[in-house]
Amino acid sequence: MSNVTQAATRDIQGPLLELVDVKTHFHTERGIVRAVDGVSFTLDRGKALGIVGESGSGKTILSRSIMGLLPIRGTDRTGSIKFAGREIGSFGRKEMRAVWGKEMAMIFQDPMTSLNPLMKVGDQIAEPLRIHLGMGKTDAVATARKLLQDVRIPEPDRRLEQYPHELSGGMRQRVMIAIAMACGPTVLFADEPTTALDVTVQAQILDLLGEQRSDRNMSIVLVTHDLGVVAGHTDEIAVMYGGKLVEKASTKRLFASMRMPYTEALLASIPKMADASHTRLNVIPGRPPDLVNPPKGCRFAPRCPYARDKCLTDEPALTVTPDDPTHSFACWFPVGSPEYHESRARIDKEAAA
Amino acid sequence: MTNIDSAEMAATDTLFPVPASQATPSVPSPSLRKRLHIPKPSVIFASAWLIVLTALTFLATFAPGLVPFIRDYDAKVKVNGHAKAYGYGPGWTAWFGTGKSSEDIFARCIYGAKMTLIIGIGATLFGLIIGSIIGVVSGYFRGWTDRIGSIITDCLLSIPPLLLALILILRLDDLKSVYTWMGWITRPWQITFTLGLVAVAPFARIVRAQTLTLREREFVTAARSLGASRSRIIFRELLPNLVPAMVTVAFTGLGILIAAEAGLAFLGLGVERPATWGKMIDIARDDIERAWWATTFPCLMLFFTVLSFNLLGDELARRFDIREAAV
Repeated sequence: MSNVTQAATRDIQGPLLELVDVKTHFHTERGIVRAVDGVSFTLDRGKALGIVGESGSGKTILSRSIMGLLPIRGTDRTGSIKFAGREIGSFGRKEMRAVWGKEMAMIFQDPMTSLNPLMKVGDQIAEPLRIHLGMGKTDAVATARKLLQDVRIPEPDRRLEQYPHELSGGMRQRVMIAIAMACGPTVLFADEPTTALDVTVQAQILDLLGEQRSDRNMSIVLVTHDLGVVAGHTDEIAVMYGGKLVEKASTKRLFASMRMPYTEALLASIPKMADASHTRLNVIPGRPPDLVNPPKGCRFAPRCPYARDKCLTDEPALTVTPDDPTHSFACWFPVGSPEYHESRARIDKEAAA
Repeated sequence: MTNIDSAEMAATDTLFPVPASQATPSVPSPSLRKRLHIPKPSVIFASAWLIVLTALTFLATFAPGLVPFIRDYDAKVKVNGHAKAYGYGPGWTAWFGTGKSSEDIFARCIYGAKMTLIIGIGATLFGLIIGSIIGVVSGYFRGWTDRIGSIITDCLLSIPPLLLALILILRLDDLKSVYTWMGWITRPWQITFTLGLVAVAPFARIVRAQTLTLREREFVTAARSLGASRSRIIFRELLPNLVPAMVTVAFTGLGILIAAEAGLAFLGLGVERPATWGKMIDIARDDIERAWWATTFPCLMLFFTVLSFNLLGDELARRFDIREAAV
């Protein structure tokens, strides 16, 4: 059984991951929270996809929806999630258990809390090997040692015998990566893997993930709020807002010619080295939308500087740009349109006055 | 700062004022306690309580082998060759005095300690095991399992513990005399079961609360995302992390259960032989005016033992940062 699925995953034709209209709704006392509201995308083998958005945009819930790691109670997940040609959206817990760790793995935001504090690092890495590959103790420990070397941890023999509290944050995240990598998954979800880390360590971890991706021909879904993180480490970027995809393009294309004002605002909010010190940070005014009662029309309209009447009543659909079939966006008056330039000119004039 | 400097310059009338760092000891030297490597007071006290309990356990276990030091259980301390009720007060002959049938109170206290500790530890283990099963299962699986677990604990908590204990012990006595296969349930067993049952609910509540917080921790989700089965998550991820809480509540619970056992014995539902401390107090209480020592010393033993367990439990709770929810 396990060999068959593995073989099926390895030689799969077509996209590795295919989402069609995935919705994740939570039933709460306030009403239905539409955390993920109709997301569709495909991911090819060996590619890295960045999912970007601010807090509460549904990016974490989306990644956990694909993994099937959501609480069962009060959660509705609909839509189709095809992984290597199999519909895993309808998989039960038992069926998912064969997929988890072996074909899909996840690393989490905070390496301080995602390792069991009372289990030795070596045992934690050996765990998935023993669950999925049925390895004996000595084999598992030898493989764990090899994995620690792969993630560039010095003195692997000593580290195997240590507990998580004896390691630094960056080291712990490396251990997490080693654990996730143990059974050679075909897709790795990294949920803000560097948010809790130092900037210098961030780069190391991201480079490490990139190396592992090419070494193992693995796909990565990198979930983050930081456009700087995805810039150099992904092939494609999907921007999420209010539970929906609002723009998706190849990384190069997105940074060169973004169409969605939200993406523009996200990029503008990154402080630039060229700015004089004490320059005011560019912020996106307002708050993320309430996902129980999302705004009518475009969800970003209440905060969008270029919004017009149409934006407040009609919701734009995700449409492909005429000149690039891989670039799609959801906006009535995208960046570069005549209306956009008109609004832009008005805003600049007001700012000058 | 500058004021002090100028004042100093004026006072010493020199061009080279003493640098402030030398004039005043700005870096406080490590305290005496640190220099002599003396541990914190709380650690000292905790160790002291631990030593008291260890000594007591040691004496209780090896009492029969320490005959010249501790008299036999039935040895009579005679006055001029005759047994005499309350013949000696506390003193060299009998450290804690003698009792009604001229037995040595000190020896009885030590023998009583054994039975008291066995019942206390037995009841704690019983309560902890059953309580942990209910707590972990209802905390981890939630839903209807949690509801059943909660109903069981709520029912147990709604019955007055003393009443439950009285009824249960008497009922078990009846059953024992009717069914021969239940003959092994002698008085110590009855008390152990009963007290254990009383302890189930608080233990279950604490373990459930801890499980609820643990199951939401990232490392449990991480284990799930690696394909770990439920039993693996419970035994490898949850249980080891529950142990500190369990040990802590077990210590506090042990103190309470020992006191509860004494209460039962005082009401006449104690172990006759070897008499527990509660039973000793019960036997001698009518003569408290004639011989204060026969009740006071067992009381003191009880007091210090329960206190030791409680304070040790507190110290452990501080160490493990466990807030006591229900004990």
